[in-house]
Amino acid sequence: MEISRDAYRAIEDIVGPEFVTDDPALLDSYAFQYLAELIRPEHSHFMPRPWAVVMPRTTKEVQAVTRLANKYKIKIKPISTGWYHWAAPLKDNEPTLQLDLRRMNRILDFDEKNRFAVVEPYVICAQLQAEVMKHGLNINITGAGSSCSIVASACAYFGAGPSSFSMGNNSDNLLGQEWVTPAGEIVRTGSVSSGAGWFCSEGPGPSVRGITRGYLGSRGGLGTYTKCAIKLADWPGPASLEVKGRPPGYRLPVPENFRVYTIGAPDWDSFAECYYGIYDNTLGYIFHRQFNLAGADLATALWLTYIDPTKTLNDVETAAADPEIKAINEKARISFQLILAAHSSDGIELQDKILDEILTATGCYKVERYCDKDMAEFTNMYLQRMGHKHCNFIWAGGYMGSWMQAGKPDWVKTYVPTAIETFKNDQDSGLLVQCGGDALMGCGSTLAGGGYYGFEQFVSYDPADIKSVKACVKHMEDAVVTCREKGIPYGKEYLYLQVAWPDEAVWNALARAPQTFVFDFQRKIKEAFDPNGLGDRNYPWLPEGWGKSAASAQKE
Amino acid sequence: MSIEDFRADAMRCSRCAYCKWMPLDLMKSWRFSKGCPSIEYGNFHSYSAGGRLITALSLMDGRSTVTDKVRDTVFMCNMCGSCDVSCKICRYDMEPLQAMRELRVKLVEEGHLPAALAKCVESLKTNHNMLGAPKERRGDWAKTLGIKDLSREKAKVVFHAGCRYSFDGEQSGVARTAVAILKKAGVDFGIFGATESCCGGRSYGMGLNDPVKHCAETNLAKWHAAGVETVVTPCADCYYAFKRLYPQVAGSQIKVLHMVELVEQLVRDGQLKLTKPVTMKVTYHDPCHLGRQGEDYVPWNGKEKKIFGQAVCYDPPRPRYNGAFGVYEAPRSLLQSIPGVELVEMERNREAAWCCGAGGGAREAYPKFSQWTAGERIEEAEATGADALVSACPWCEKNFSDSVRHGGHKLKVFDILQLVEQAL
Repeated sequence: MEISRDAYRAIEDIVGPEFVTDDPALLDSYAFQYLAELIRPEHSHFMPRPWAVVMPRTTKEVQAVTRLANKYKIKIKPISTGWYHWAAPLKDNEPTLQLDLRRMNRILDFDEKNRFAVVEPYVICAQLQAEVMKHGLNINITGAGSSCSIVASACAYFGAGPSSFSMGNNSDNLLGQEWVTPAGEIVRTGSVSSGAGWFCSEGPGPSVRGITRGYLGSRGGLGTYTKCAIKLADWPGPASLEVKGRPPGYRLPVPENFRVYTIGAPDWDSFAECYYGIYDNTLGYIFHRQFNLAGADLATALWLTYIDPTKTLNDVETAAADPEIKAINEKARISFQLILAAHSSDGIELQDKILDEILTATGCYKVERYCDKDMAEFTNMYLQRMGHKHCNFIWAGGYMGSWMQAGKPDWVKTYVPTAIETFKNDQDSGLLVQCGGDALMGCGSTLAGGGYYGFEQFVSYDPADIKSVKACVKHMEDAVVTCREKGIPYGKEYLYLQVAWPDEAVWNALARAPQTFVFDFQRKIKEAFDPNGLGDRNYPWLPEGWGKSAASAQKE
Repeated sequence: MSIEDFRADAMRCSRCAYCKWMPLDLMKSWRFSKGCPSIEYGNFHSYSAGGRLITALSLMDGRSTVTDKVRDTVFMCNMCGSCDVSCKICRYDMEPLQAMRELRVKLVEEGHLPAALAKCVESLKTNHNMLGAPKERRGDWAKTLGIKDLSREKAKVVFHAGCRYSFDGEQSGVARTAVAILKKAGVDFGIFGATESCCGGRSYGMGLNDPVKHCAETNLAKWHAAGVETVVTPCADCYYAFKRLYPQVAGSQIKVLHMVELVEQLVRDGQLKLTKPVTMKVTYHDPCHLGRQGEDYVPWNGKEKKIFGQAVCYDPPRPRYNGAFGVYEAPRSLLQSIPGVELVEMERNREAAWCCGAGGGAREAYPKFSQWTAGERIEEAEATGADALVSACPWCEKNFSDSVRHGGHKLKVFDILQLVEQAL
């Protein structure tokens, strides 16, 4: 099936012929998406192929293409820097235009005094961070890494990252957005909608941020976000990151007013208590359990290998067997990375003293080898810029994040043993990377100031090995079953699997959610803004009668 | 190797798009944050390294066929290797640059070599250069210099001028400068003059296998016959061909030096004294084939193996070319040893350097793209406040000079040896 010549020519008239294509090979470069092989028939790496890829340059062009799509009843799927299978068309044989927003790549405004920037969808976190650091400001870089779109993380996903602990999620930091609805209307939310500038997400003027994004964000399923304003945070560091070293393990020297630690805990109870201590005392510029993405059995061996540019993954095998490294690894088995920052030497010394008291009180400790200069500088680099995030894929090219239920530390620690046991059992086949059952990674918070966080289990598999792919799917299903049996809310794997399900199965799942009135309400939003059904179910909703109405939920 | 050997790379690509950017850690501004000229110019994902891996997979699986657009996505690329560096920040199991070249090989074998490149290859066969110049003129630049002719005499060091410095009248002064420096330093060397032959390296980048092998065998035979132990060249493309490709395609063990390496060593050893001030603020452009692709060749013939169940590694360990050990410091040290020269860095330098635009056949097949790429670098150089852009490759210098001329820029373009000459 292909796009009609009439529709194609009309798109060419809008964006110019060089910015639209329906060449099958070029379309395939959009159909190929991370995680596709876990849910597609015969484990294909390709999601459904869009009918055409279009590259608008302006909001007006997005609007014109969207209106045209309404005329021809073709779905719209925007993508910026995006990855994940849900960035592609979701269903076979469903006409879809993929809007590649990479030409919308400008930083439109930067207000130093009021601490925000206005950006288009293809501005990535690293670009904006580099610019605003020159002015003593910073942005929360999403956990997906600094190669990711700010607009996508703020408007269309939740945008949690290591610095969310002090800066909040990007969805919280959203100060206004420009949205081309699936019907082709341009809607601006927050203060900008009343001509007052981009400083406030909740007005003066309409605030439909919650409506368009739900909890997770619409992930390209409900129109196209063409601009957003993002709140900036304080940056007490240098105006430019003066990076040292050779690839891949670049290093960022630690300024005098910063501290970079890896904190170890004897058990998960101590971990939680330490977390509370840090949270209660408002310490922590960055709080993240980063390095454990490699798995608690192998993490130390991997990272000490990684920072040596002469070594390769082969060397990890030797390192993992080294008694000295094994000993360090045990100290770091339950650990997290913590970066402290202050504006003065007195300030940082005070934070240091408080941290030491917390560590003494909770039985936690600084893992010495990780706090040595080389590893501390590497840790600083990794977490300040988030430019190594795709080490997620370092073992075999495939990673699937399961679990990631968020909550208070006292609750998170209750599902941690289950997550570890389930994963460890599934590693026994040898078809997943055997890095230990604890490959739990996560940012210290999804709320500014901390107090709320979750762990994502890093399941590494080989996408080029069908048996390994199947083993990963099995783990996803095992995790779902385990959660169901133990009364733990479903994690990310459940969302991933749903991409392959028919509509009815997804609705059945949503109808069992605790707050179905949300999806009932979102149907009304969809009906209002997407009358021709150009979006997809990445913006979740329930048919009438499948969920409780808001009114009945309120009565209960 | 063939593109089939990179099927797993394609399936393991996470589509993270690091290949489009300079290493994220090194990013200092919005303006100069991009790494890949091809995606910046072509825009569609297929113009990136990751996109080409997907194209390869799509073609191998019979999901699509080679169209004119597909051919453009494959060949409108400088093969500069920026993608390779950025990809390998997080990956040990990917070889995007090699895979992209094998994709070219596939297209060439199926008859899709762009016409402009076919012309270059034909010229290589008939004239032993890719510039379409008559081979008889190759030695003209050195006719009056009284240099030992290794087609008749012997020397341990051969100076290989390369095609651009031999045939381009605007550039051959650099070759004359180079030999003057060698003479001044007392190096016993010779040239092949009119019988010098192209290194063949550019044909390799275009996706052809045979020409570089033929060039390697021809050149190595001549060098051996003349008693040559070291080849010295002022051209980064030749350097790459001799250092990385000749061992691979012809088992070469000859020592290879770029002129900057040799001159820097001579200065460091006190055999050359740079005494005259050259009052100039300069910025240095790392040629791709001297910088990130200038690492030593390590023979490897192994296979994939898995550790810890599924972690991908290689038996024996596979050499890792990620730009960590390119030739970066010698040119900088040399510039800093010239009295009066102030060296300032562009934001994208060393392994993160933006390409000049001349490589991979782009200059010949996609001249607008090639010039746009050079223009981007000129703007970056100007942003440093430098008076001059200095490099160590005739292809870079040619593309930059063209761009400066067409764009009306005031920036001067020099080969590093021209500054050395002024300081002697």
